[in-house]
Amino acid sequence: MSKISRRDLLQYIGAGGVGTGAGYLFAEAIKRPVEFLIPPVVPPEDYSPGVATWYNTVCNQCSAGCGISVRTREGRAKKIEGNPAHPVNQGRLCARGQAGLNALYNPDRIRAPLKRVGERGDGAFETISWDEALTQVAGRLGRLKIEDRADRVQLLTGGIRGHLGELFEQFITLLGSDRYAQYDFTYPANLRLANRLSFGIEHLPYYDIANCDFLLSFGADYLGTWLSPVHFSLGYGQLRQGREQRGRCIQIEPRMSLSGANADEWIAAVPGSEGVLALGIARILVADGTYTGSDRDAWQRALEPYSGDRVAAATGVALERVQQLAAEFGSSKASLAIGGGAAAAGTNAVASLVAVNALNHLAGNLGQPGGIIFNSAPVFGSATRHAGLTQMTELAASMQDGAIEVLLLHDTNPIYAMPDAAGFADAMAAVPTIVAMSSFMDETTAMADLILPTDTYLEAWGDDAPEPGVGLPVASISQPVVARVYDTRSVGDIVLSLARRIGFELPVALPWANTKEFIKDAWKKLYTELDPQADAADFEEFWLAALQAGVWGRVEATGGPGDAPAPSTIPDIDAAAATFAGDTAEFPFILHPYLSATLFDGRGANLPWLQELPDQMTSVVYGSWIELNPATAGELGIRDGDLIEVESPAGSIRAPAYLFPAIEPGVVAMPFGQGHTAYGRYAQNRGVNPVQLVALQSDQQSGELAWAGTRVKLRNTGERARVVRNDGISRTLGRQILHPEENHA
Amino acid sequence: MSISVSEALRPARKPALIGVVAVVGIFVGVWINDTYFSDRTPVQPIEFSHRVHASDNEIPCQYCHIYASRSPSAGVPSVAKCMGCHTAVADARERPEVLKLAGYWDRQEPIPWVKVHDVPDFVHFTHKRHVLAGVQCQECHGPVQDMDRITRIAPMTMPWCVDCHTEREVENGRDCWTCHK
Ligand code: SF4
Repeated sequence: MSKISRRDLLQYIGAGGVGTGAGYLFAEAIKRPVEFLIPPVVPPEDYSPGVATWYNTVCNQCSAGCGISVRTREGRAKKIEGNPAHPVNQGRLCARGQAGLNALYNPDRIRAPLKRVGERGDGAFETISWDEALTQVAGRLGRLKIEDRADRVQLLTGGIRGHLGELFEQFITLLGSDRYAQYDFTYPANLRLANRLSFGIEHLPYYDIANCDFLLSFGADYLGTWLSPVHFSLGYGQLRQGREQRGRCIQIEPRMSLSGANADEWIAAVPGSEGVLALGIARILVADGTYTGSDRDAWQRALEPYSGDRVAAATGVALERVQQLAAEFGSSKASLAIGGGAAAAGTNAVASLVAVNALNHLAGNLGQPGGIIFNSAPVFGSATRHAGLTQMTELAASMQDGAIEVLLLHDTNPIYAMPDAAGFADAMAAVPTIVAMSSFMDETTAMADLILPTDTYLEAWGDDAPEPGVGLPVASISQPVVARVYDTRSVGDIVLSLARRIGFELPVALPWANTKEFIKDAWKKLYTELDPQADAADFEEFWLAALQAGVWGRVEATGGPGDAPAPSTIPDIDAAAATFAGDTAEFPFILHPYLSATLFDGRGANLPWLQELPDQMTSVVYGSWIELNPATAGELGIRDGDLIEVESPAGSIRAPAYLFPAIEPGVVAMPFGQGHTAYGRYAQNRGVNPVQLVALQSDQQSGELAWAGTRVKLRNTGERARVVRNDGISRTLGRQILHPEENHA
Repeated sequence: MSISVSEALRPARKPALIGVVAVVGIFVGVWINDTYFSDRTPVQPIEFSHRVHASDNEIPCQYCHIYASRSPSAGVPSVAKCMGCHTAVADARERPEVLKLAGYWDRQEPIPWVKVHDVPDFVHFTHKRHVLAGVQCQECHGPVQDMDRITRIAPMTMPWCVDCHTEREVENGRDCWTCHK
């Protein structure tokens, strides 16, 4: 054994030391990070940590009024599901409903009252206290009232339903003004007017898709965006698979929507000719004796002009197809025709919808299962203050004239959702005081002088009676599922505390301490009104039961499927041709904008889950795109992803091309929803807003914006833009995965 | 003509030895860390003694960990709960650790206890099921009533869980979905 030299020894010690150090550090590195157990200072009373509590309330992401159950843990909302007891959605929920959590916990929520410090629109605000904010608004309104000039106060909200709408109504009336308008881009004003003309009933009837055998949809995307998409999706499932005899669906629209993709047949009629097509079918129904009513001759005369050849020429649908449709519509046990989407947003929208209604009448399906069933009027609070393009332009004019001193805004975004040419943004500049009650800094809120931040629907009290109803009286209470996240207040509370501060008769007429009490009081009245046998002493029990169930309804109620009123529309039958803004030679394409099933009319653009959810038909996420037929693209030398300048008589925007085979060659389509210039980090500066292309035209009868009535031209900029999409490519690359004859290489 | 193998290997012997020494060092290092610097017994913001509470004063576990039988988490008592007793227990009031507690209460601050027992987030462990099945706290947490500073005696790893599930013949106890859902 040789002796170890001193030098070697030091080397061994060094090696041992380094090894030990490394071992120590290794053991340290694999330790789990330190976590803490933070107990509450005072124990919570209403939950056990770790145990979920579910609260039932109402979805507010569109106006269908689905019931939701929100799972909360430790006072935080974790997940939204459909409320199985609610007759509208029966436990189901759409993506927009799911994304409600993104609204509640959105990092871009307005967290405290704000006062403008810079120029209007610069976005410079300072935080002020609630007391100061409310004092300022109440002071301003009170002074106008003293000076007897309160009629210069304008309240503009979104499509508010339920008793909250009535509270607004009372507030503004007590103040001494009649100026209350609701601007909701998706409000079915044309359909309501058409129904009033056809049936004398304005509130929406129940379209019994579940039980019909033959569904003929004129542009209504009932699976994605039309009226009550979750309910109709359920109905569609029933129609397809829930019964012995599978029903058939035909979709008539120039660009295939989700409903078109799920239909048995998709028919691309010329845009705006839907009414003519309906009347062409109607003429055959009368002529071949399917319709046997006593006024058959009158109908025959009225429908005389819609001969097969004329209809085929106007709609681009072959004569035999029209005849087949008529035969099937007439012979099916329960056939149902519905109209919506772009077909209900042209310059002849009301006329087209009246024609669709006539079809239902002639097939004898009014008041029948599988047809149109007339609901009793909603239990309360149907919106009556809707403002269409006409009223909004008038309002803009009054604002320009200086007739409006104070503009109170809530939950509506006309700057984004109306064409610039309507002049609303400019008119706002002429209003001395703008107060916005809002949860988010959208384009319209950003123009306000004073911003009162509101609760989201998951933090506030309210109620709702769904429309279209479900054939029986139904209503829901909306309750907070979590304590408010920021220093916000519910809009009802704001109105009530303004009333208290303004004084005069307002605090007497609006005595409630908060929205909850107001809603509860309203329900108490309803409780005794709707059911004369009800004992007012039992109300508390009823209230708790309704809160817990998330819905109240009278299953045994009569008057649901009411008698079908006789249509009074024979003289009105006139499917006037749609007019399109823009010269055909200069602007060769018809613009077909459509509501996005995710971002809807743009209100969902600030919710990241919806931004990252692929569009159902194109699989595109995040941006904007313009859909055009590959044949059109080929003629113009446009490739997928080329940046296209789309120009209309009203404006121009740029978006990448998406070659979409399921669209008429003369039509180009774009979804609404993107192109925000404000509205938080997820929405801002992403994509483009097709509303900017829409020319200022309205329906001849309703005065609603005809957003599907514009022509455009396309120019390839030569630049390329990335369309983020999930669908890979549409070709099979010789993989023999399709039927051999259809094997497009 | 013989070749000495050891002669041939001689130049490699020293690096090899150094390597062996280093490897042994690594084990020593891990052991030192595990023995003297382990996270099984972290220092807590208050030197709280389970021995004093659970043994000397015979307070049942679920008097403080009130959610154990009805929630996935057993729950750490709120500061108010601690103070509930400590305002009444007179002779304990002047002790330095109790003064710390009172400090938290005065400031209305929660006490940041360091977590000793933890399972990863992908494990859906629930106290409720175990307590209702009659598993004693000590079976997983050790003789807590004898500990001054709480220490982890079980590895809290999947084999350890599954062993117990197997031994007790828990229904679906070896099903992935029982814990990972
Ligand atoms: S359809 Fe409308 S109300 Fe129903 S879940 Fe979707 S967004 Fe909410």
